[in-house]
Amino acid sequence: MMRKFLRDPLAHFLIAGAAIWGVFSLTGGEVDPEARTIKLSREQQAGLALAFERTMSRAPTDAELDARIAQWVREEVLYREALRLGLDEGDPVVKLRLATKMDELASAQAELAQPSQGELQVWYREHASAYETGGLLDFEQAYFPTRDAAVAAGGEARPRGEPISLPRNVQGMSGREVGQLFGSEFADGLSRLEASSEWQEPVQSGYGWHLVRVTRRDAGRVPLFEEVRDKVERDWRSRTIAARRDKAYQVLRDAYAIEVE
Amino acid sequence: MRVTTFTVHIVAALALAGCNDRTGDEPSEAQRGDGSDTVELAEFPDRPYWGDTHLHTDISVDAFGFGVRLGPEAALQFARGEEVTATTGMSAKLDRPLDFLVIADHSDAMGATRRLYDAPRMMVRDPVLRRWYDMMHEGPEQSTRAVAELITAAANDDIPEAMRDPERQAEATRELWDRHLDILDRYNEPGTFTAFAGFEWTLMPGGNNLHRVVMFRDGSAKTREVLPYPGLDGEVTGLWDYMDAYEEATGGQVLAIPHNSNLSNGMMFELTEPDGGAMSAQYARRRAAREPVVEATQIKGDSETHPFLSPNDEFAGFGVAGWDLGNLPLTARSTPDMYAGSYVRSALLRGLTLEEQLGVNPYAFGLIGSTDSHTALATGDEDNFFGKHTGNEPKADRATASQNLGTKQGRFGWHYLAGGYAAAWARGNTRAEIFDAFMRREVYATTGPRMVLRLFAGHDFGEEDWDGDWVRAGYTRGVPMGGELQDTGRAPTFLISALKDPEGANLDRVQVVKGWVDASGTAQEKVYDVAWSARPMDGASDSPVPPLGDTVDRTEATYENSIGAPELRAAWTDPDYRRGERAFYYVRVIEIPTPSWVLFDAKRFGLKLPANVVEANVIQERAYSSPVWLRPEPKPRKTPGDAPPIMSEG
Repeated sequence: MMRKFLRDPLAHFLIAGAAIWGVFSLTGGEVDPEARTIKLSREQQAGLALAFERTMSRAPTDAELDARIAQWVREEVLYREALRLGLDEGDPVVKLRLATKMDELASAQAELAQPSQGELQVWYREHASAYETGGLLDFEQAYFPTRDAAVAAGGEARPRGEPISLPRNVQGMSGREVGQLFGSEFADGLSRLEASSEWQEPVQSGYGWHLVRVTRRDAGRVPLFEEVRDKVERDWRSRTIAARRDKAYQVLRDAYAIEVE
Repeated sequence: MRVTTFTVHIVAALALAGCNDRTGDEPSEAQRGDGSDTVELAEFPDRPYWGDTHLHTDISVDAFGFGVRLGPEAALQFARGEEVTATTGMSAKLDRPLDFLVIADHSDAMGATRRLYDAPRMMVRDPVLRRWYDMMHEGPEQSTRAVAELITAAANDDIPEAMRDPERQAEATRELWDRHLDILDRYNEPGTFTAFAGFEWTLMPGGNNLHRVVMFRDGSAKTREVLPYPGLDGEVTGLWDYMDAYEEATGGQVLAIPHNSNLSNGMMFELTEPDGGAMSAQYARRRAAREPVVEATQIKGDSETHPFLSPNDEFAGFGVAGWDLGNLPLTARSTPDMYAGSYVRSALLRGLTLEEQLGVNPYAFGLIGSTDSHTALATGDEDNFFGKHTGNEPKADRATASQNLGTKQGRFGWHYLAGGYAAAWARGNTRAEIFDAFMRREVYATTGPRMVLRLFAGHDFGEEDWDGDWVRAGYTRGVPMGGELQDTGRAPTFLISALKDPEGANLDRVQVVKGWVDASGTAQEKVYDVAWSARPMDGASDSPVPPLGDTVDRTEATYENSIGAPELRAAWTDPDYRRGERAFYYVRVIEIPTPSWVLFDAKRFGLKLPANVVEANVIQERAYSSPVWLRPEPKPRKTPGDAPPIMSEG
């Protein structure tokens, strides 16, 4: 019962309200945020003047600043009256606007965050495969339109194959490049073959069938953390912004019990 | 005062945003430059590099309003093959990454809708802006409507002052551009992936689309010296002045790519200068130098040619329906007399005619495809169409809904194409190598599939060349696509090879499109079938190459590669060559019929489409090479005019 009460948003407001009231009643400060006193500090006035100056490239005259202040006060009065009347309730524009602001607060925090060396190293270890390079292949291929034709030529010492505008000999090509040139099916097929001086069984591509001789296969290599630190930080940053925003939301979200009927 | 309040706040908002960047992971020297001397280069361009030169993100004034919330960083990650979450919540990963990307956000009011959206409402004083502001906040549908209003306002020269004034926008744009250039450098990795700086210049007099994508060769050290050039007012010569000034000031290079000529109501490729006066040689020379490549196909239709212009071309008319009704926002209808100025084949012909008169060809351009996607996702295939903008990311009714442009005037969702790609023959994947391929027009367009297309022109190519290293022969004894061949009195010969997309459909046929100016000065065009796959010859058709039939299952959105060929080759000699006739030749590769994105949607969402819509969406995708030009031997000019003796330079 008590636990449920504590998860109720109303309880949070009550508790927070009681705490604030307690603090302010002790210190004698402003209690009600909607009090009937509107105060415009020197700093706020300077802000209005600066905003004017940024646009017009000159300081405002006294009259112009007065007009700005009057405008500010007018909006503040109307804003407070609107809150008093509950006009912010049920207005989709107001709701979305405030939600966007909260979201941006959270992501701004994430963008400013400086990762420690340790954090980046953890990220790097978890995503090491994304930084892998190489896995280079040397191979020779002969093309046949059908599997039968390829099988029939399989016994030849050096199968010629049919003409096609693909390289006969390929050197130092990554699996990704092989996929771009011959199709992913062929790249997959090739990845299952051991390096050998022999011609091997037919492999299918986007074009037909190929007899293949894989003469060299380099294992891929994951570069050292120091070599890719820039990339790691770039990726960590862009990927954690969304995660942190989600996390910030989750913290707030957890304080609510949601019932969708 | 009304105008200034909005600006004040966008500046303030940006000042806040500006605190968030520059966090220490500086890109390396190699990533920041043009990529020269960073990777080992092939002797000859050895493979096509695939890219999209026309992608919008949340910085674009319209894309943001349409609802996209992905910025340049997500766009780059997606193009490189990383997984991102699309605005509408779906995970998205490109199964075949791209090699390069030009993020081309609109220069006008860059970032302004985002800033407007983020501004406190009470500071938005302009009644029109405030109206858009409220619509944008209300929800996706209203937001899309707000942008349609914005585009129409732009077309009608009626954009609120607060949004268009470059002076007021400059400070905001500065911050945004600097941050953007940093992101590009961070993702630019010579040898792996190239990120180009660019923007879209959006000139649109009366709604007639004269847009260009501007693409820089250089990294941030040089591109930081300028800001994107606004285009809503002005003339194209102003853009060229801007480009000249950039190159002079920085020693860098920049080019411009016209696009959607199909929505220009004849204004993109005029025979005159923009003011209606006769075209000068100087204007023609600047245009040719500044705009070496045209985007011929993209989501908003295909601009190769129109059936009205090419009545004897049975494959004319791809991606024309709906788009040929009028200009971009459909504020003015098109009439057939406008088409010659709106499509690229007729423009190439006009170029030959103008060259006869001026000694310079203003329309000697290469061809590429791109997406013009406003979702920050560079998807170009039928099975992954992510929508023209966030308002039509995958959902059930997008194929049958009216478009936001020209609403209820005959343009429907299914008129959108899935988008195209640009292929560049380069020696390596760097900014310099790929940009230079664009400059020498060694590029080609596809409507999405990644066919590998080679074209060489020379005087002595023949079948026997296929037995040897014909690529080397092509480069040493001839010129590749985009090149110029001097007329020597012998018919030009060509080596043409088209390989199918290894993950895609077989090829139906390969054609050469020839355009020339005959002895009487009349421009002519002819399409030759030069290679085709085996097909049943039942005598039902007069054509020597009758239609192939199709294997498309309309309800399942599948096809079989049981027809067509994996590769088609031709060593071809022009049978109609006449000495002294100026000509161009480009190659068109036609795939076997396949289902378009609309049929994939119908399958996915269980749509019932009208029969005519189903049939219109069994399509033959294609590639267009850049042309090779045949130039007559130099002859003395009869009238000196204002043209310099450019002919004698060869």
